[in-house]
Amino acid sequence: MTEIKKTYKNYVDGKYVRSESGKTYTVELKSESYELPLTSKKDLRDAVTSSKKGFDSWNKLSQYNRTQIIYRLSEMLEGNRDSYVELLVDHGLTKSAANKDIDNAINTIVWYAGLADKWEQLTGNLNPVDGEFFNISHQEPLGVVFTLNSDEVSIDKLIRSFLPSLSIGCSVISFSEKNAVLSLKLAEDVNNSDLPSGSLNLLSGDFTKVFDDISRHVEINALASYKKLNKESLKTINENASTSVKRIFHLPSEDGLSSILPFIETKTVWHPKGR
Amino acid sequence: MSNINGQTLTSPFSWASTIELLDGVKVDEIGVKERVSSLSTRSIKRESKLQALNYVVSMCDLTTLEGEDTEGKVLQMTAKAMRPDPTDDDVPSAAAVCVYPSLVSIAKEMTGDSNVKVASVSSYFPSGQVPLESKLLDTKYAIDEGADEIDIVINRKAFFEGDYRKVFDEIVALKEACKDKHLKTILEVGELRTYENIKKASLISLAAGSDFIKTSTGKIPNGSSKEACLVMSKAVYEFKEITGFSAGIKVAGGIRNAKDAIRYLIIVKEELGEDWLDANYFRFGASSLLDDVLKQIRKLRTNAYQSSYYFPRG
Amino acid sequence: MDKWEYSESIESDSIVSIKSKYGHFIDGKFSTPNSKKYLKTVSPSTEEVLASISVGNKNDVDSAVNSAKEGFKIWSKTAPSERAKYLYKLARLIQERSREFAVLESMDGGKPIKESRDFDLPQVAANFFYFAGWADKLDISWGTKEMKPYGVVGQIIPWNFPLLMLAWKVAPALATGNTVVLKPAETTPLTALLFAELCEEVGLPKGVFNLVTGDGTTGSELVNHEGISKIAFTGSTSVGKYIQNAVGERDIGLTLELGGKAANIVYNDAALDQAVEGVVNGIFFNQGHVCCAGSRLLLQEDIHDEFINKLEKRMQTLRVGNPLDKNTDIGAINSKEQLDKITSLVNEGVNDGGELFQIECELPSEGYWYRPSLFTNVQPSYNIAREEIFGPVLTTLTFRTPEEAVDIANNTEYGLSAGVWTEKGSKILWTADRLDAGVIWANTFNKFDPSSPFGGYKESGFGREGGRHGLLSYLKVRS
Repeated sequence: MTEIKKTYKNYVDGKYVRSESGKTYTVELKSESYELPLTSKKDLRDAVTSSKKGFDSWNKLSQYNRTQIIYRLSEMLEGNRDSYVELLVDHGLTKSAANKDIDNAINTIVWYAGLADKWEQLTGNLNPVDGEFFNISHQEPLGVVFTLNSDEVSIDKLIRSFLPSLSIGCSVISFSEKNAVLSLKLAEDVNNSDLPSGSLNLLSGDFTKVFDDISRHVEINALASYKKLNKESLKTINENASTSVKRIFHLPSEDGLSSILPFIETKTVWHPKGR
Repeated sequence: MSNINGQTLTSPFSWASTIELLDGVKVDEIGVKERVSSLSTRSIKRESKLQALNYVVSMCDLTTLEGEDTEGKVLQMTAKAMRPDPTDDDVPSAAAVCVYPSLVSIAKEMTGDSNVKVASVSSYFPSGQVPLESKLLDTKYAIDEGADEIDIVINRKAFFEGDYRKVFDEIVALKEACKDKHLKTILEVGELRTYENIKKASLISLAAGSDFIKTSTGKIPNGSSKEACLVMSKAVYEFKEITGFSAGIKVAGGIRNAKDAIRYLIIVKEELGEDWLDANYFRFGASSLLDDVLKQIRKLRTNAYQSSYYFPRG
Repeated sequence: MDKWEYSESIESDSIVSIKSKYGHFIDGKFSTPNSKKYLKTVSPSTEEVLASISVGNKNDVDSAVNSAKEGFKIWSKTAPSERAKYLYKLARLIQERSREFAVLESMDGGKPIKESRDFDLPQVAANFFYFAGWADKLDISWGTKEMKPYGVVGQIIPWNFPLLMLAWKVAPALATGNTVVLKPAETTPLTALLFAELCEEVGLPKGVFNLVTGDGTTGSELVNHEGISKIAFTGSTSVGKYIQNAVGERDIGLTLELGGKAANIVYNDAALDQAVEGVVNGIFFNQGHVCCAGSRLLLQEDIHDEFINKLEKRMQTLRVGNPLDKNTDIGAINSKEQLDKITSLVNEGVNDGGELFQIECELPSEGYWYRPSLFTNVQPSYNIAREEIFGPVLTTLTFRTPEEAVDIANNTEYGLSAGVWTEKGSKILWTADRLDAGVIWANTFNKFDPSSPFGGYKESGFGREGGRHGLLSYLKVRS
């Protein structure tokens, strides 16, 4: 029987879409090659519109609810382990390295799931100001975050590029290039985890074609690159970002509590204490 | 001055006393939501469900308020209000039909002196954005056409501009224009939004002589809510404690099914008391609600889920 | 007779299957007890015998502790992320079998199904979900890697929220790497026994969770066992004091969550209708069998009559009856002993001069019941204003100034919780600053969350359960 080959598409607003430009690029794996959407500037602008709505829907849910949703993603991965291993092997990993990567990915998801309803306890606090005042530093997610995945062939690394900001309540546009097949495949399990539409959008393409536009886009609140950028790109990005004081993070920490710190906005509230 | 229920109120309550009432208004939003939530867990089954459904039918004001309403349309609806389920004599008639002033006389021709009342909206429903004189004319016309009940809207412009006295005075004037006809005052809770606004508007309306306070016009996306009904019930009860006068409540706009309607009855029963479980004290402004209730009644009798085509259109 | 009566809406009990006799859960499986003594657990709403429960003896406790010691060897080598996953799986199973647990809880303890279904069980699942998420984050929880689990912890829980108290104890203990020997209350062991089945189902390593049922003698054996490195107790203040005394020179961890006589302060600028709801919830929720119940109503004098009128009217709508009827608000009193205690304290209050209001309602002929009651005209010296009644009885006192309110509220050996009702924000904060209570509810009451630390001042105990601070009850700094 003829084998049917999967088409990978961008995952935006809870739907699978091709690039509006109709353009694609090729990713060659060991046994298979895939045509992936070459995300255009317009695609990205649509993704941002979706992410803005997604931020509201994601934050309407209680943190407890978000914990359960992220945990569900780990359940999905566990259930589809074999297909991920197969894909990683096709990317060049050995079977045992692939399994290890999935083990790590699942543990990473479980770790961030449990952080979703605790991070404020670890980062916010009451402040002992002088005077009859109650003063509290409340922690809020930044908003819409654009993240660039590294080129490493790893589901765990991919997850570490979007889950820190997502788990504390940001909505994320995650962009992958050479290894985008992994990301677009993950989209299927993301879709099944009950994440609200727009809270996580997964796209493929060539960052050099879009970074100028994206770093100028006022409605993206932060840009985080988990891939090392060259000096020219960094210069352009920072110059563009300065026009709207966008937050730029180059190679942020992927470890523990420090991985979420860049994506937090602190709000401090005062109230007098008196009869 | 007395109202349809034969009660007397030294109406209107003085403005000075009204201000005192308004000063004391404090409502906690979360507390209200929790109370409604808790009441919504009541499980109403079997005999108590059938009884509730019959109450709902008897409390329905079948409503059509569209630019495209014609005499033919209103006649169909009125016939349905008079006999909601022709195959079942145990199903009561609805409380009233609610129409625009130009359709009042045709409705009245059909209802005659049956139990079904003809209610008319007026006062430049739904926005009320005209001077008092126009509102009085609107109302007088409806009364002359034969309306038994008048549904007016409060002046939200005045309310949000902080002129509560004007809101009060207009209702007093419109009540006078109604003579002995029953007056319902629509607060439009979807615009008032906060529970404190809703409570204040309720108290002003009651103090000015309204027989009923009503949640909504049904013409904006946010219609009635159970929380609004709870807050209004508190106002009605407090007003009764002070004056002895029992006003009624009408909920309208967005009550789509029988289950929801029954939840409103639970609020009425547990917050106001059983005296209010009566068409003289509680109404539902409805269009599609009635059909769902009829289906539920038929289901309880026959134990099979029903479809709308078994019931005559209205 | 009401104009519109709610028909009975009974939650079926066919979903539960109760065995006639139970043993203990030790070393990962159900086992026959060494003790030959059994007691009967009874449904307090029907007085029907539900099952025979073993009264664990010294040997049973010993087996359990030894099993927990062995279990600790395995559990301390288990990766934190794996510990997390066991707890997540338990949380999922609890969610799946929520209805079954809720019905069983209502049958065994007498609380309304509405509460066990809508409050107890969701909180139980939430606690397992919440603490699962700490298991792999202990190193960042308090900024040090030096904190270690105690080892074997002995846990004794009360009968008012049987499964929830189990969750409050077991979830953090396991998340932090301890192993457990749990003794549920004498009158409410059934949901704990069902929980043990779940532990078996998720394949929790042997000895990590152990369950020994019994009475006060069993608890005593557990408390005095040399193999225990920490005791966590929730129950009456008198037993708590006994335990603290018994610990003596042993260098073990101890947390106590004891009784309360909380003040619910209503200022004259409160949102009165919602305050009435909060006060009703504060004392009548769970039939008043709540350590943090708002059992003293402190009313500002100038709103006394208006408030009491509203309160009595609201109390009259409370429905007392069959816990399995979904429309029941107030269930059965947990036992004959407790019912007698409540009755005697109320009589004392009347004799002292208090005015008693009780709602009018029919009570079932079988079972243990008490009508929701309200005392007014009470002086602070009356015993009903001082002693914990642990029943649906509210005592009213008046105050004139905020200072007086705080004074009266603090005039007790207890310090578990308090309520403050006012629409003025600064007054909430001012009052909260001055109340000696571990949990303060402002414009609300009886709110619980796994992330929110709970525990008392003074004789209401020490240590906190829940939240980041709750971890400290199960971790010690290596010295």
